[in-house]
Amino acid sequence: MTLRERIGLTFVYLALGVAILLALFPFWWMVDTSLKRPVDIFSGVALWPQQLTLDSYYRLINDYHFGSFLLNSVIIVASAVAVSLVLGTLAAYALARFRMRFGVRQMALYLVLLVRMLPGIMLCIPLYIVLAKWGLLNTRLGLILIYAGLNTSFVVWMMQSFLEEIPRDIEEAAMVDGDSRLTALRRIVIPLAAPGLVATAIFSVITTYNDFIIALTLTSTPDAQTIPVGVSTLIGKIEIQWGPMAAAGVVGALPIVIFALVVQRNFVRGLTLGAVK
Amino acid sequence: MSDKTKNTGKSKLLKRRMRRRDFIKGGIAGSALLAGSGIFAPRIVRADTASITIGSFQDNAMVPFHEYFCKQFTVETGIAVNYNETNYDTWYQNCKNDGLNKTGAYDIYVMDDNWVPEFAAGKIVQSLDKLGLKVNPDILPAGLEMGLWPPKSGARMKDFANATPELYSLVIIDDVEILYYNKDFFPTAPVTWDDIYNVAKTTKAPDMYGWSPRGVKGNPIMMTYLPLLNSYGGNFVNPDWTPGFAGPEGVGALSRLFSFIPYMPDGVAEYDTDQEVQLMLEGKCTALTEYTGLAQRVDDPSSSKVVGKIYMAATPKQVKSGPAIGTFIAGIASGAKNPQGAVQFLEWFTSSATQLEFARKYGGAAVTGTALNDPEAVQKHRWLPAIADAVNNSVEKPRTPDEPKMEDILGTALNEALVEAIAQKSNYDAIAQKHLSDAADQITAYLKQQGGYF
Amino acid sequence: MTITTNIVVEREDRVQRLRAASVPYLLLIPAVVALAAISLYPTIDGIRASLHKFRYGLDMGFAGGDNYTAVYSDPVFWQAIATTAWFVALVVSIETLLGLLLALLVARELRFAGLIRVALILPMTIAPVVVGVIWRLLYASDIGVVDPLFQALGLGAPHVLAHPLSAFLGLVAVDVWEWTPLLFLIILAGLQSMPQDPIEAARVDGASGLQTFFHHTLPLLRPVLLVAVVLRTIDAVGTFDQIFVLTKGGPGTSTQLISIYAYNTAFLFNQYGRAMAMLIGVLAVLIFLMLAAVRLMRRTSEAIE
Repeated sequence: MTLRERIGLTFVYLALGVAILLALFPFWWMVDTSLKRPVDIFSGVALWPQQLTLDSYYRLINDYHFGSFLLNSVIIVASAVAVSLVLGTLAAYALARFRMRFGVRQMALYLVLLVRMLPGIMLCIPLYIVLAKWGLLNTRLGLILIYAGLNTSFVVWMMQSFLEEIPRDIEEAAMVDGDSRLTALRRIVIPLAAPGLVATAIFSVITTYNDFIIALTLTSTPDAQTIPVGVSTLIGKIEIQWGPMAAAGVVGALPIVIFALVVQRNFVRGLTLGAVK
Repeated sequence: MSDKTKNTGKSKLLKRRMRRRDFIKGGIAGSALLAGSGIFAPRIVRADTASITIGSFQDNAMVPFHEYFCKQFTVETGIAVNYNETNYDTWYQNCKNDGLNKTGAYDIYVMDDNWVPEFAAGKIVQSLDKLGLKVNPDILPAGLEMGLWPPKSGARMKDFANATPELYSLVIIDDVEILYYNKDFFPTAPVTWDDIYNVAKTTKAPDMYGWSPRGVKGNPIMMTYLPLLNSYGGNFVNPDWTPGFAGPEGVGALSRLFSFIPYMPDGVAEYDTDQEVQLMLEGKCTALTEYTGLAQRVDDPSSSKVVGKIYMAATPKQVKSGPAIGTFIAGIASGAKNPQGAVQFLEWFTSSATQLEFARKYGGAAVTGTALNDPEAVQKHRWLPAIADAVNNSVEKPRTPDEPKMEDILGTALNEALVEAIAQKSNYDAIAQKHLSDAADQITAYLKQQGGYF
Repeated sequence: MTITTNIVVEREDRVQRLRAASVPYLLLIPAVVALAAISLYPTIDGIRASLHKFRYGLDMGFAGGDNYTAVYSDPVFWQAIATTAWFVALVVSIETLLGLLLALLVARELRFAGLIRVALILPMTIAPVVVGVIWRLLYASDIGVVDPLFQALGLGAPHVLAHPLSAFLGLVAVDVWEWTPLLFLIILAGLQSMPQDPIEAARVDGASGLQTFFHHTLPLLRPVLLVAVVLRTIDAVGTFDQIFVLTKGGPGTSTQLISIYAYNTAFLFNQYGRAMAMLIGVLAVLIFLMLAAVRLMRRTSEAIE
């Protein structure tokens, strides 16, 4: 390595260091605030809690129902993503493997894109009225149905491109052996598409977990409210509780951050493919 | 070993046989199982007459309500009370949706008094008169009248010009703006804005401020401006729906607010309740106007550094005193599952006995005259007379469902004016006039477009 | 006897073929139904509502184009559109530049490459509401770090959210913090899937780093960049949660994006029909952008293949 290259590389690491600092410091400030006592929060900048306390978290669980919010989020996200993976993969398989008539394929893909760009505000009221009719307002099931629908668009979009990459010969061979289409799909295609499925699931989990405005409108009590709605309830008009609010932010971000670290490699893949293809 | 092989062989066979029909069946069975397992079902199971459900926004003033009185009601009547609360904006939307669609998730909505016109005209809440609710004559009239639609006095919309006022919601907490002042700076209660200004001039920022307003656009800055406007003899709207704040009274009131700029924190344009209250509790501010909820905190050593030093009075006069009223008011949902239980609860909570306990035990902003003037209560909670005084002088916001839009227009203009005044530090009258006239024009145009006013 | 069997066989054949032909549609139906229910139904309902008059929150019947006339003659609406346009233009261009820069820095052999990537993309993974909370904690003038930081630099406390221009720029900064990672990831993926031969060849020919970048890397990257920009633009137009948490559109109307104004119009001012009229207009523009995006993507995938 020449001196020039070495200087260049040092500069690269330096620049990336600054970028990482900018990306991560805000997180730290939130964690820091959540661990401070109320008095210390107001006593000037301190990058480390003067006196560590879990009081804010304690209040979050006890006074602000964060246990329920978290449970709701986990159940809703898991179910909605599971349902949408099934629906979306079947549809994607059809789009990837068969020639469709009447421009069905085009229409299906446009529908998928339309879902992505509809403003959430526009969805709230019509969906509210439908859920009210079915008695599903303020229930986890109501949110699961809606998120499953929204997510399906994304799953179709991504899985279609993954499935196209899998050669047809393999499943055709299986079908000659006597498997039906669906058995071949389940036995051969899905395992081969597993990395794509994982990537899709990751992105779906993130978008579903993070949604705010739909959950805000369609739920009204901690029986069904999700984490982002729970966080927003702390930003009251009457009085801001900084400590619990910061703690709520931490609790809201933590599952996703842990998730990101656990599935690190697939995670980046999921995010990129989701955006590019 | 041999067993295992057998098993795999079998399962392979099984798998092969699983055809489309089984696949679908399995799916249906699986989802039925999930649905039946109760994970997805709502947890509140309500028996129709044995319980009521109350929803509210979060507020310190509501703490005794749900932690003590709701439970007490169950003890006395056997009717269970479910209580849910969320933040103000969310709750406003939730209960509106619930009522418009008659979903029936709640029996009682705890509301802000300026929601009453919309909720009554939009049939989101039911007429309490029709439900047969008996009103306690001890309730202060100024608070009680907030629940009437159409209003008994003041500007009325044309659609409702000849309708007889009916009670659509019942006041449960007489929340109203009062003046809080630090006794170290004011040996006696300030009476006019000039009294406060004279003390403000002696303060030195940033160690001590002479005034701490809410400056955030919309409702917050309106809450700062309205008591000023009213005390200068202006009106949000006149009885003929023309804006009443763009004349000399309104401009004078706003210039008065601007005159405090050198003695206010720099960032007031982003100050909401929490920030202004924090200053007061840290002992860094001589006076402010705020709702009664703060009274509960001034003597609490865990939040206040000025225990025993903050006193309360009616908001200052110029021509007159005119605090904005912001009562907590309860309506019965259009889709209520147990309206009679709800009526029973409201009658019980606003009874003289319950209100007396509210005032004595918690120093709460009771709605009855006897409670606010009770010697034992007043001795324990020094702010109660100020509340009674303020309620009697209070001025209501325009009684119309379009009030939020009017408040948004004026509240945005006030915030813009404040930002400009802070930047220029002079020219206060001209800045005030410009923005207030602008807001008046916008409000008039909006009301004309909506129809039913002129 | 033989004839009947033949007919039966033929019929069975046809049934089989029909069955086989219907499989793809059967597979597609559940997803299409779900998607239509979630998108077409609300869109149609929104169009219907935009043609109705609402008073006291109640639907008062058909009103023709009244809502559209009211919206398009409302100066606040146009202000919100202008604010949105500025916001989107600023955030998308800054994010693209920074994303490109970061991607170029990372697209090489690095130690801890995986960790660096994850650290850089964390901001985009958390809920926008939480992003709002984080920045509220940073900007707050009594408990934040931004004001003290500026003071330490001798610049005086800016009180970011208290002034129209600084609040707007403050929100742009929040968006850049949150979404630069997305652009970074897309561009990085583009860089890594890029054929290396022409770039190597240019290097061997003695071209400088900058020359190779402008003459070879950038043109190859252009399709990916375009897609990324369009997708990000569509999302940026709908920005809502962070502003809802941070400023609610203030001070004045300086941060009132169209999403916030439509939200207020629908849920605060009870003019649901008018809000829908605004959103239908915005949706029309977005659909135009989407069609452009689809076309670009098609061209991109052709280019990559």
